[in-house]
Amino acid sequence: MAEMTRREVLKIAAAGASAALPGVIASPAHSQGTQKRELVVAQGGDVAQFDPHMSTSSNDIRISFNLFDNLTSRRPDGKLAPGLAMEWKLQGQTTWVFKLRQGVKWHNGDPFSSADAKFSIERTYDPNTKMRVNTVFTTVDRLEAPDPATLIIHTKKPDPLLPARLGFYGGQIVPKKYLDAVGPDTFNQKPVGTGPVRFVSWTKDDRVVLEANPDYWGGRVDFDRLIVRALPEMAPRVAALLKGEVDLITQVPPDQGERVKANAGTLVSGALYGGLYVLAVNSKRPPLDNPLVKQALSLAIDRETIVKELWRGRGVVPSGPIAKGDNHFDASLPPLAYDPKEARERLRKAGYKNEEIVIETTAGYMAGDRTMAEAVQAMWRDAGVNAKVELFEYSVRAQKNRDKSFKGVWWSDPTSTLRDPDGMMWRLLGPGGPQDYWRHPEFDELGNAARFSVDEKFRADAYRKMTKISLEHFPWIPVIQPYEDYGLQKHVEWTPDPLQQLEIRRFNFKFRRA
Amino acid sequence: MRGLLPFLGSRLLRAAVALWLVSTVVFVVMRLSGDPVPLLLPPDAPRSEIFRVRAELGLDRPLPVQYVVFLGNVLRGDFGRSIHFRQPAFRVVLGYLPATFELGLTAFVLASLVALPIGVVSAVRRNSPVDQVTMGLALVGQSAPTFFIGILLILVVSLKLGLLPTSGREDWRNLVLPALTLGAFAMASIARLTRSAVLEVLRADYIRTARAKGLSEALVVTKHTLKNAAVPIVTITGLQFGTLLGGAVVTETVFAWPGIGRLAIQSIYNRDYPVVQCTVFLSTVLFIVINFCIDLVYGLLDPRVRSI
Repeated sequence: MAEMTRREVLKIAAAGASAALPGVIASPAHSQGTQKRELVVAQGGDVAQFDPHMSTSSNDIRISFNLFDNLTSRRPDGKLAPGLAMEWKLQGQTTWVFKLRQGVKWHNGDPFSSADAKFSIERTYDPNTKMRVNTVFTTVDRLEAPDPATLIIHTKKPDPLLPARLGFYGGQIVPKKYLDAVGPDTFNQKPVGTGPVRFVSWTKDDRVVLEANPDYWGGRVDFDRLIVRALPEMAPRVAALLKGEVDLITQVPPDQGERVKANAGTLVSGALYGGLYVLAVNSKRPPLDNPLVKQALSLAIDRETIVKELWRGRGVVPSGPIAKGDNHFDASLPPLAYDPKEARERLRKAGYKNEEIVIETTAGYMAGDRTMAEAVQAMWRDAGVNAKVELFEYSVRAQKNRDKSFKGVWWSDPTSTLRDPDGMMWRLLGPGGPQDYWRHPEFDELGNAARFSVDEKFRADAYRKMTKISLEHFPWIPVIQPYEDYGLQKHVEWTPDPLQQLEIRRFNFKFRRA
Repeated sequence: MRGLLPFLGSRLLRAAVALWLVSTVVFVVMRLSGDPVPLLLPPDAPRSEIFRVRAELGLDRPLPVQYVVFLGNVLRGDFGRSIHFRQPAFRVVLGYLPATFELGLTAFVLASLVALPIGVVSAVRRNSPVDQVTMGLALVGQSAPTFFIGILLILVVSLKLGLLPTSGREDWRNLVLPALTLGAFAMASIARLTRSAVLEVLRADYIRTARAKGLSEALVVTKHTLKNAAVPIVTITGLQFGTLLGGAVVTETVFAWPGIGRLAIQSIYNRDYPVVQCTVFLSTVLFIVINFCIDLVYGLLDPRVRSI
């Protein structure tokens, strides 16, 4: 009541002070239906590249997955659905035949054909184009486009996950004719795709304006314009949502989520992250080369408390190195145990001599990384581990990642790009991979065999064994599988995706109309 | 007229030396801070790819060679291509300048319009409640961190009272809160300095004389005091002007204002050497130009300066 009075007084004061203030007092959107024809999204940073093959950053793919289509479409439930390809089948062991959708037009009116699809995939690994996604299609040998509606992909060895690879970054299809005509720089400034929205304008560090593609093959989306704003600070981003200036915000941390939920017109919607937050381990450096020490470190982490206190329940305790929701996730495995007594016992058995174990973290590369590092440090100290937190900025982390020069344990947020252990555990921990700090002959043999097998039973068995080895040797100490939370106006009906790409299509988005 | 040319000459020389020193320091510090290539490539890119990109960007050459190339290009007005945006760095920075000027100028005008009268009134009514309240506020303005003022304004003015937008850059309403936040520090320091400069002059003999000969207090303040107190006020105001135009990282971040402060910080994180160098270079030029203008104004205000 007091608040209403104050607002009334100010309304009068404002009206009295100047007649030229119409619409200054915005009323927050409390009604649950809307007449809006514009969807405003706010994310934490600006887009850097529109060319979908030049970036894998989440701020970029949130836009590029709407400007462009893939041959296959990964749905929020984790399943693959037809995209620009209507159906596909494996012929023999290494030949995939894709039947492409006909009658699809690029945003500039040109017709889409198999030549575009062939060009796009070849472009990702062509050394002359220097694309950021150049490692996505390393299994591809060559492509054929025998007619406008058919694409044939030959792989070097059997690749059961090719349709999944085509559904994520690297797999977006770009227009050959337009790109040949304008060149990559203009294409990156004025992108043309087949997706549900077309590019209109970009004001750097402010907003990207997109408009609905009226001829979209998947059906026109229920708005005229999509605006993506860059609001770097969390508190103002939440304020913009609460005030009704934006309809959807990304990356809502658990403590802010409660404010969003408490507000009448807004809600929090989350998807369990398609990946894990783990402490990756440099198993080459003593005492971390001793499996017993790593087992002790895992046993000494009270993950329940981390989920409950630091994440306010917005996460689950992992059971191993495969994320919940992925192929071959073993639901029968128990959550990773907390047993400080047993941890001490294993440290004793390992002959641990109080050597320092460094937890390397940034403040903000991953949500809650620094706080979690401090919590883990305290838990490890309680179990008798001489743990120390070292803090550095993101670019130092990138350098260490590149040089493989992490010296203890460090935060990593492996994304399961294919929703399969091959695209996560094996991609990162395999020989020569970015986190190759530990080798185990059987693990390597199984990972390699599973990659090139089209027999899902064999693969399931291989990943079960690899999980077992991993829970003995802990090349990763999994800590949490968090929710990716978004803040929404109640008039927005949208299903978030576990892989951060913020797809807005008819199958997962509509405005609740008044 | 005599003395103007040597004055200009020495100023220009000093400006050139300052620009050279600043560019060199930025060049060295940026390269000490690390390699941009790991940030450009996927984590699993092969080593050959790293070397190729490094060569392409000219980062494989010895540092002195890179430095000479850099200086030669800067003399021709070429700051190189942005590593992150893949466009000429100068064009990137230029794109951010309008927003920076808009915010900086508004904050400056706002700060000056409020601070100068407050400073004068506080001095004239020294130790009165008006003086105590305004100087108390100025102390808060000068000591409260910018992000605190910014977020407080958003929560109270935008969210609670619903008067102004929370962030972004659309029309004049979006400009008010960031300009107030950015201007708060300048406002406070100009007000405090104006007060002490005016107080200083009010104690002078010629003011006593002016009062003794029966001039009205208004005339004493406007004609005799202000003109004599102007030199330090112009100095601090000019310096604040330069600072406000140099971009404001925190204010721009809190209000999602697309200015060069944010660009500079992001470019530092991205190790985007050309953009950082260009931003710092342009800010330095701006600062030097403003300082130069202040020097000229001194000459107008104080005849003694002209004879030096």
